[in-house]
Amino acid sequence: MKFRCERDLLADALATAGRAATGRTGTLPVLSGLRLELVGDKLTVTGTDLELTIQLEIEVGGERDGGVVLPARLAADIVRSLSAGKVEVSVDGDDVSIAGGRSQFAVRPLSLDDYPRLAAPASSAVTLPSGEVGEALRQVVRAASTDEARPILTGVLLTAEAEGLRMVATDSYRLAVRDLPGASVLGADQKVLVPGRALSELQRLVGHASELTLRLGERDATFEVGNTRLTTRLIEGEFPNYRQLIPASYPNKLTVARESLMEAIRRVKILARDATPIRLQMSADSLRLTAITQDVGNAVEELDAVLEGTELTVAFNPDYFAAGVEAVGGDEVTLETLDALKPAVLRGVGRPEYLYLLMPVRVP
Amino acid sequence: MTNHAPRRTILHVDMDAFYVSVELLSRPELVGRPVVVGGTGPRGVVAAASYEARRFGVYSAMPGSTARRLCPTAVFLPGNHDLYVRVSRQVHEIFRETTPFIEPLSLDEAFLDVTGARRLLGDGATIGRHIRERVASVLGLSCSVGVAPNKFLAKLASVAAKPRVTPERVLPGFGVFEVVPGREIEFLHPLPVQALWGVGPATLERLQRLGVKTVGDLNALGEVSLVSALGRASGRHLFALSCAHDERAVETDRAMKSIGHEETFARDLHESGELRTELVRLSDGVASRLRGAGVGARTLTLKVRFAGFTTITRSTTLASPVATAAAIISAVDPLLANVDPTPGVRLIGVHASNFGEPVEQLRFDDLLAQTLAQTPDNETPDNETSHPASTDWTEATVAIDAIRQRFGDTAIGPASTMSATGLRLVRRGAQQWGPDHDREQPKRG
Repeated sequence: MKFRCERDLLADALATAGRAATGRTGTLPVLSGLRLELVGDKLTVTGTDLELTIQLEIEVGGERDGGVVLPARLAADIVRSLSAGKVEVSVDGDDVSIAGGRSQFAVRPLSLDDYPRLAAPASSAVTLPSGEVGEALRQVVRAASTDEARPILTGVLLTAEAEGLRMVATDSYRLAVRDLPGASVLGADQKVLVPGRALSELQRLVGHASELTLRLGERDATFEVGNTRLTTRLIEGEFPNYRQLIPASYPNKLTVARESLMEAIRRVKILARDATPIRLQMSADSLRLTAITQDVGNAVEELDAVLEGTELTVAFNPDYFAAGVEAVGGDEVTLETLDALKPAVLRGVGRPEYLYLLMPVRVP
Repeated sequence: MTNHAPRRTILHVDMDAFYVSVELLSRPELVGRPVVVGGTGPRGVVAAASYEARRFGVYSAMPGSTARRLCPTAVFLPGNHDLYVRVSRQVHEIFRETTPFIEPLSLDEAFLDVTGARRLLGDGATIGRHIRERVASVLGLSCSVGVAPNKFLAKLASVAAKPRVTPERVLPGFGVFEVVPGREIEFLHPLPVQALWGVGPATLERLQRLGVKTVGDLNALGEVSLVSALGRASGRHLFALSCAHDERAVETDRAMKSIGHEETFARDLHESGELRTELVRLSDGVASRLRGAGVGARTLTLKVRFAGFTTITRSTTLASPVATAAAIISAVDPLLANVDPTPGVRLIGVHASNFGEPVEQLRFDDLLAQTLAQTPDNETPDNETSHPASTDWTEATVAIDAIRQRFGDTAIGPASTMSATGLRLVRRGAQQWGPDHDREQPKRG
């Protein structure tokens, strides 16, 4: 194998695919590498940890077809560090030579034979507007759990709802539900559970393109954005019945300007160390935020707000609350509550497609 | 290095053959005979041996079977942990007459920072002698006291203060031994290198290859050589100790960094259900101590040791600190569900750390119950796994603490820890001789 390529193009490809290669040298060391395959002028770069696969195709100046597995981290570090301009990569006996400018590296490759064969994605494809999907991912993925002890909650549920697509995620402290009307990807009763980690990688990719293609297989889902293809295993199991968590009605509804609320949280949070809760004291025409950290100090900020219902104080984890206010969008946000120990719901005014349900923190 | 802080005076008080001595208070006929507490069940290890038994080479943590072989004439007692806890509390009351800065290491040893008490009560050795006299006159027990400018030397000093055992007889010790400030090196350097905290069998072997026998030899190697031989952390740590440097403070229960309970089983457990019962018991004990210290914990760690001695730990960090048994259980239960018990489990432990004000991040409880029930390898029936994690346990917990305060720890506990003979609750230090003592009563005498 031998090819030439612009440094930036190759560096980006190695970095992107490298995000799926595993950092751990576990049972299959070859997974810490990236597979490069050259056919004509087309170079395919693949990284996988068997759960998540990221594959890119880039145009290069091909000279000799072939394949090789390079240590992902090392290869990316080398290419990024070369001086700008052309990079030449060639298999040279036992080593892979990476050269650019007046620098020359020889790297021992990993075993190409050990690299897993990856299944071809399903043939039936659906095309989605990537802008809207990107926004929905941003709003939902944040609520998925990262705790591997509860694998089901590390997934984002994609389900058919109201002639569209619905995305749902929860880490058992908060729940995010987002509807994408008109995006019919799934059959009437079809549901899939996509790992949150894969979707946050997808979120990084969708920024650049206008269209996103989804191919759903039996056990995996493939997303195609521009020259990049991301395949992830689906999580098996039943997502909890999230509907029962959303109370039918709330007696109290607070409306407040979103931007000023976000700024107030940002300030008050300085005194909310770690997970110290922020207390929200709601009265008829104001909202008072308080954070107290023992032996450190406290912060208070008062905002104009409108409360329909009874006065109430609720405490939230500052990060979860800030993430919700940020996610709902819109100029104004509503916070609906039952009492200090029941789930509260955040929505953006005029944004019916998204809700963020949050459990309070019990404070002494 | 300049140090502007006043020189500290630390005491390490170590009860002499504590469990045995407590037993002998009520069995004076056994005084002067080899007596062993613990070591009675199939897995039992010796919890304590009288100095007479030590003449035969019997030591604590030795398997009971070995102890019996070495000293067939010894009297083996099953141990009465509740009694030791009570006596230990009385010992601590005496400590508290001197200083509030007490760090208990176990029921029978503790560090005391008496820096502030010197002006009132005299120097460290005087305070040490006073404590010894009080413990002897009030409780009829003897202890050895090490006095030094830091914890590490104080612990070594108490060893030097201990009675000495030869195969022929037991020689009385100094009772109080002081490492005089300025003469730390003189005391420390002739000691064998094993005296340093952190020198285990592997490190010892490496050091021996370098010709290191004493702490002085190790010090002479210098920090650079030690770091290259043992790694950065270990090398620096040991070098600092060999210079008699140890800045660690005496940590009272409130300032502790972690609270945990472990249990070694009499036989290996193979079923998730059994393990879960133990988990509930341990979590309950940890929760009780967290509340006692007025803190909540964000990080919970499950420790599992398999029959082959492989040990794994699994941790989870919660959004906010918790201090109720229900919250701890719902955090560690999924960790246990991912452990395959079929090879046989010898020990499990629950540890809490990362402390903060005990606020509780509530969860969607029904949702949690569902996902727990679905976790693979979880053989317990659904109704048992559905913890009402965020139902109101606060008031119930307050009531539990009040009942325990008034009627003792075994007056109330989780239903799954109930057996025909009553509640089996976790007690601090109870794992030291395995759970054999209340099930298999050995013959006495």
